Amino acid sequence: MAITSRMRHVIESQQFSRTLLEELFARADEIKREPHRFMGRLAGLVMAALFYEPSTRTRLSFEAAMLRLGGQTMGTDNAREFSSAAKGETLEDTIRIVSGYADVIVLRHSEEGAAKRAAAVSDVPIINAGDGPGQHPTQALLDLFTIRAELAKIDGVRVAMVGDLANGRTVRSLAYLLSKFKDIKLWFVAPPQVSMRDDLKAHLDEHHVSYTETQDLDAVLPEVDVVYMTRIQKERFTDPAVYEAIKGIYRIDKNAMARIRKYGVLMHPLPRVDEISPEVDDDPRSAYFRQARNGLHIRMALLDRLLS
Amino acid sequence: MSITERRLKATVMDADQIRRSLHRIAHEIVERNRGVEDVVIVGIVSKGDILAQRLAMILRELEQSRVPFGRLDVTQHRDDLHLRPPDGHRPSSEMPDVSGKVVVLVDDVIHHGRTARAAMDALMDFGRPRSIQLAVLVDRGHRELPIRPDYIGKNVPTSDAERIDVLIDEEDGIDQAVIVAG
Repeated sequence: MAITSRMRHVIESQQFSRTLLEELFARADEIKREPHRFMGRLAGLVMAALFYEPSTRTRLSFEAAMLRLGGQTMGTDNAREFSSAAKGETLEDTIRIVSGYADVIVLRHSEEGAAKRAAAVSDVPIINAGDGPGQHPTQALLDLFTIRAELAKIDGVRVAMVGDLANGRTVRSLAYLLSKFKDIKLWFVAPPQVSMRDDLKAHLDEHHVSYTETQDLDAVLPEVDVVYMTRIQKERFTDPAVYEAIKGIYRIDKNAMARIRKYGVLMHPLPRVDEISPEVDDDPRSAYFRQARNGLHIRMALLDRLLS
Repeated sequence: MSITERRLKATVMDADQIRRSLHRIAHEIVERNRGVEDVVIVGIVSKGDILAQRLAMILRELEQSRVPFGRLDVTQHRDDLHLRPPDGHRPSSEMPDVSGKVVVLVDDVIHHGRTARAAMDALMDFGRPRSIQLAVLVDRGHRELPIRPDYIGKNVPTSDAERIDVLIDEEDGIDQAVIVAG
C-alpha cells in the first residue's frame, strides 16, 4: 500500500511525519482563519462515507468538512446491515465498487486492520475513521492540533491520559503521534484492569518517550499541561462486574479543576458520561468543545491535502 | 455554552530559562557592584518578592555572604489606585535597613513603568538608599515613564492587547512566563 510523503491514504497515526503534521496544522490554521478562501476547493468531487459501525459525530464532521470545501457526500450509516455486506459481499469488493463512484472513501469498521485491507484494493484515497480497537487517526490529529492551539507548542508538553487506556483507541493514536515530538512526558492514569497495553509502551520505549503509570489522578493533575480524560467504555467489557468496579473512579469536578495548572488544558474526545462534571464547562481550561470544533478544520485540511 | 477562545498564546520562558536568567542577573549584580557588600535585594509583591528571595539565595551562594532581603507592597503608592478594585489580602512590606545601601528592586514584569515608580516612592519611606537599581524577569516594553531596568531576564515585545503572566513554583506549582490574550 502507498504510504508516502504524498499521503495517498490515511490509515494510522504512525504514518504521519513531523513535517507532514506541521503542514496539515498550518493548513488547518488557515482554514480556521479564512474559511471563505477554501469554499469551492473540492467542487465536483464526491466523498463516500461507509460506516459499518455507527458514529454520528465523526460522520457529520467529515460530511461538514467536505460540504464546506464545495464537495458532495454520500454514504450509509449502517453499511453492515443494509448493503451488500448483508448478502455476503467482502469488504474488498465493496471498496472496489464504491471507489468507482467516489473520489475519496471514509471508512469506519469494527475489525482492526479493515482500513489497510481497503486501501490495498482502492483506486481512491481511504480515510480510516476508526477500525475497531485499532486506530482513529483523524481523532488523534485533531487532538494534537488542539494541544498545539491551546498551548502554542507541542514539544515539551506533559500529558496525562486518564481512564480506559486498554480499549481507548483515541489515546493510543494520540500517544503514537506525540512520540514524534521532543521531550514529551506521559502519565497513564488507569485502574489495572484497563491499563495501557504493552505494545504501545514498547513503542514509547523505542522512541525514548518517558511515561509513568499510576492510579492516583490527584497527584498527577498539578504536574501536567494536558489532562486527557476518556470514558470507561461499557460496551467493551465482557464482564459487567469489572465495569461496575471501575466505572466513575476518575472524575473532574470543581475541586479537581483547582489542582490543574493555571494554563493547563482539559480535553475529552466526547461523548462524556460522568468523567467531567458540567460545572467546569465554563472554565477557560476546559477545551473539549473547542477540540470537537477543531475536528472540522483538521478534516478539511486533510481532504484538501488528499484531493486538490 | 459558548466556545470561548484559548487565552495562552505562547510560553516565553520555561523553568530552565527562568533559573538561568536569575543566575545571570545575580552575576551581573555582583559585577556591577563589585561584590554584594552594601547590596540589599527588595522584591515587589506579589511575584517580585519571591524572585528577589531566590536572587538573594543565589547571591549568597556566589559571594558567601548574606544579602539582606526585603519585600515591598506598593499598592498604596500607585498613581492608578482609584482605578483598581481593593485587594482582599494585603501582604505588608518588610524592610531591612536601606539607608546608604544599594537597593536592587526586583519585579517579575515591567510594562508601563508605573509599578517601578511607585516602588521607588514607597522605598523612600523606609530610608535614603545610596542608589536604586532595577531588575526584572521580563521587559515587555510600552514604557510611559522615563524608567529603564538595569538587569533584564528577557525582552518580550508584546501588543497592548496581550498580557504577560509569570507563574512561580511557590504559588503556581510551576516556573513559567507566558503570553496570554488580554
